[in-house]
Amino acid sequence: MSTREGLSALRRRLRREADGDGLGLTLLSGAIAAAVLSPVAWLFLRVTDVPTAEAVSLLTAPSTTRVLTNSVLLVTTVTVACVLLGVPLAMLTARTDLPFRRFFTVVLALPLVVPSYIGAFAFVSAFGPRGALADLLAPLGVGRLPEIYGLGGTTLVLTLYVYPYVFLTTRAALLSLDAAHVEAARTLGKSRLAAFREVTLPRIVPGVAAGALLVALYALSDFGTPAIMGTDVFTSYIYVAYNGFAADQAALLSLQLLGVTTVILALESRVGQDDASAYASGGSRSAARIELGPWRWVAALCCLAVAAVSLALPVGVLLLWLFRGGPGYAAGGFPFDLSFAVNSVGVSAAAALVSVLLAVPVGYLAARRASWPARLAERATYVGYAMPGVVLGLALVFFGVKFAPTVYQTLPLLVFAYVVRFLPQAVGTTSSSVLQVDAHLMEAARALGESPRSAFRRVTLPLIWPGVLAGAALVFLTTMKELPATLLLRPTGFETLVSYIWQVQEAGYYGLAAIPALTLIAVSAGSMAVILAQERG
Amino acid sequence: MTEGGRDGRSRRRFLAAAGAASATALAGCNGILNDGGGDGTGAPAAATFDDFRGSGANIGGRGEITGTRVADLPDLSGQLNIYLGGGEGGLYTDLLSLFGQVYPDFEPNVRLEPSTQLASKIREEQSAGGSFADVFWAVDAGSLAAVASEGYTRALPDDVVEVVPDQFRPDNAWTGVAGRARAVPYNTDQLSASEVPDTVREFPDTAALRDSMGWAPTYGSFQAFVTAMRLLRGDEATRQWVTDMQDAGAAGYANEFLISNAVADGELAAGFANHYYALRVKAQRPDAPIDLAFTSGDAGALINVSGAEVLEGTERVDLAENFIAHLLTAEAQEFFATRTFAYPMVPGVPPVGGLPRVDELSPPDIDLRQLDDVGGTIDLLRETGAL
Repeated sequence: MSTREGLSALRRRLRREADGDGLGLTLLSGAIAAAVLSPVAWLFLRVTDVPTAEAVSLLTAPSTTRVLTNSVLLVTTVTVACVLLGVPLAMLTARTDLPFRRFFTVVLALPLVVPSYIGAFAFVSAFGPRGALADLLAPLGVGRLPEIYGLGGTTLVLTLYVYPYVFLTTRAALLSLDAAHVEAARTLGKSRLAAFREVTLPRIVPGVAAGALLVALYALSDFGTPAIMGTDVFTSYIYVAYNGFAADQAALLSLQLLGVTTVILALESRVGQDDASAYASGGSRSAARIELGPWRWVAALCCLAVAAVSLALPVGVLLLWLFRGGPGYAAGGFPFDLSFAVNSVGVSAAAALVSVLLAVPVGYLAARRASWPARLAERATYVGYAMPGVVLGLALVFFGVKFAPTVYQTLPLLVFAYVVRFLPQAVGTTSSSVLQVDAHLMEAARALGESPRSAFRRVTLPLIWPGVLAGAALVFLTTMKELPATLLLRPTGFETLVSYIWQVQEAGYYGLAAIPALTLIAVSAGSMAVILAQERG
Repeated sequence: MTEGGRDGRSRRRFLAAAGAASATALAGCNGILNDGGGDGTGAPAAATFDDFRGSGANIGGRGEITGTRVADLPDLSGQLNIYLGGGEGGLYTDLLSLFGQVYPDFEPNVRLEPSTQLASKIREEQSAGGSFADVFWAVDAGSLAAVASEGYTRALPDDVVEVVPDQFRPDNAWTGVAGRARAVPYNTDQLSASEVPDTVREFPDTAALRDSMGWAPTYGSFQAFVTAMRLLRGDEATRQWVTDMQDAGAAGYANEFLISNAVADGELAAGFANHYYALRVKAQRPDAPIDLAFTSGDAGALINVSGAEVLEGTERVDLAENFIAHLLTAEAQEFFATRTFAYPMVPGVPPVGGLPRVDELSPPDIDLRQLDDVGGTIDLLRETGAL
């Protein structure tokens, strides 16, 4: 057998094996997608309770169309604003000599952990018509502040608390980027800006798109912020139905919401995966940092300003509550316990771990193979993320009781709920970093005698590690603050920071909410620092 | 009113009668001696009547309290799974701890979530064929009714609930245990009681209230008030009223505690709020110029309740019913009255703060079960631009 014949035989064998692996992986991906899609079946089950005529009139009512329009508008404005804010911040922390980079990386990711009811309340109490700022400016003759309520205010507040999605996914993409390409472009006489536009930008587009998708779906499914900021959106409609004990109508409207989700997913597919090969880069040599010169201090000030409004403001309001909130009732009954923090970290870490384990096969397969089952499985994981939390929670109550009463209201079902809600955050970051890894590297490793598994572990995994970690961080942070599913599915007697904050706020003890909320932010900051420290590892 | 419980008991009841007479006098001593709860024999020892009673500016001069005492009832013993509606309901965990002091063998397994969410959850659980709670204790009638209307409750025995006025225990499917009245907190420096109109209908045209009224359209209790108005006067008249109030310059607040505070500060002359918020303001600032007025016979005089029901499928029927009987004892009612400033559901226990007794108010003639039509109310508030 000649060398040529030997080589082509080897290639055929590798391809065959790869196809075999592909089948196994595809089946695994499909199973994961089916599991996280299962709550949707509940929607269909409940929807059959709605008479057709009523369903049609509900879905086509002018008010339904109006809130749907509002939701689409909000999704668009928030997504654009988050990209405009998140990408530059990611560039600054990942690719420049910005002072206090690690500090800023953690701090700029943290707004994600501030629950919207605290963040939005902070804004209203600071900038609202009867807020602290109005009080401050009133003696100076400033009678009226710009309107904080409405679409503009909602966009502003949502953007400040969800831009970290774009920030973290873009950062992961930038860290996986091979510097050699940029250097080559610079050597060829391209200006820095041109090099960014022609080399860096196309390569980080999948990362940016992954973050933008998470932002868009979050904006679509969030209830708290629009409710507090006075914008009528689709989720508030669903909540009204839900609070009026019309689970069937809530299910119907949720299906319509999932319709919008499908459109967004399809749109993102086109951006995220135009031409996968274009993003394949050859290595992982980290790039030289861009030197900003004196501008680095200006950049630091900008980062500080973002952190101030998105993080320092709510913390300030919490401190205000802490010192001002006196006892309203003679009754007490809400002792705070540090174990709540331990519980929060425990379930969040479990959710992050499971999500990452599931996201790697789904994300890897979707990025490596253009086959429709692979893409479909990946897209399907996003559906749970766009379901309003209570609707998803109720679906799991029903299925839990029906098919798995032994795990109902136990930790495994709670963690499963988190995974259904937040898995796409890990899938998105993973697949966008896989897209950046040159597929030929795997083949080379295989040709050199590595088994598929070990080739993945030794070659691919280290290259996609920043993306996997970013995914874990996202899942962790969002699980820390998740409320509706936590309340519905936690084991009885199992309290987390968020369930405790909810209890005391509901009872009117705003002062008592301050300590756990500050603990939430502090613990999340610490965990983020630990996760992000692995980036270099 | 029934004295005693449902089954004949001998020695304890006798002791209890003696104990009740001297409870107030000895309370301080007992409280100190027995602090930290029972002696393990199951005998009611630790918590005295005064342990159930709150303290502070509103509480002084409590009259005679009558009604069934804890000691008149059979012991609470064993595990009871309670779904407890959050909000004010969070305060009720203290009452459970007090019961725990009386009955060391009583193990309430409490799950706090929003009342409406628990109602939806119970409906899902039951429709999937499971029952995970023995008692549902919610802070609004709509949630209780949403579960009862599906037939997921067991009717409560007459001898447990007959102390409660009929309108607060429809068909005995559930019973109110503590009430909250809609009220009009007003600033006593700016208004006299007689200047507050007697009906909600007159508010928009009252000159003294122009541009100085507050309301909280996003707040559940306010929405229940509007729902009641729709039930009494129809959607058209309600829509007109909301529009007129807006024209009269009603200012929106995030919740009714803020309204009551704004009234105390003189920022508002009056507002729409649940009665207990003004009492909370008073508890914090005893000298605040705030008092309560009540309208009569209309939505402004609505009394909503927190209440309890026994769920279908429970294996602890006796314990669950006995627990609800405990919520209606003089001790528990005193707890609701003096610690959460709620309206007691039992005529033998007066509300705090010199408020009229529950049977002296003139609530509208409304079936509380119909308060679950929140959706129509929100639509109406949206159409008028109040939301």
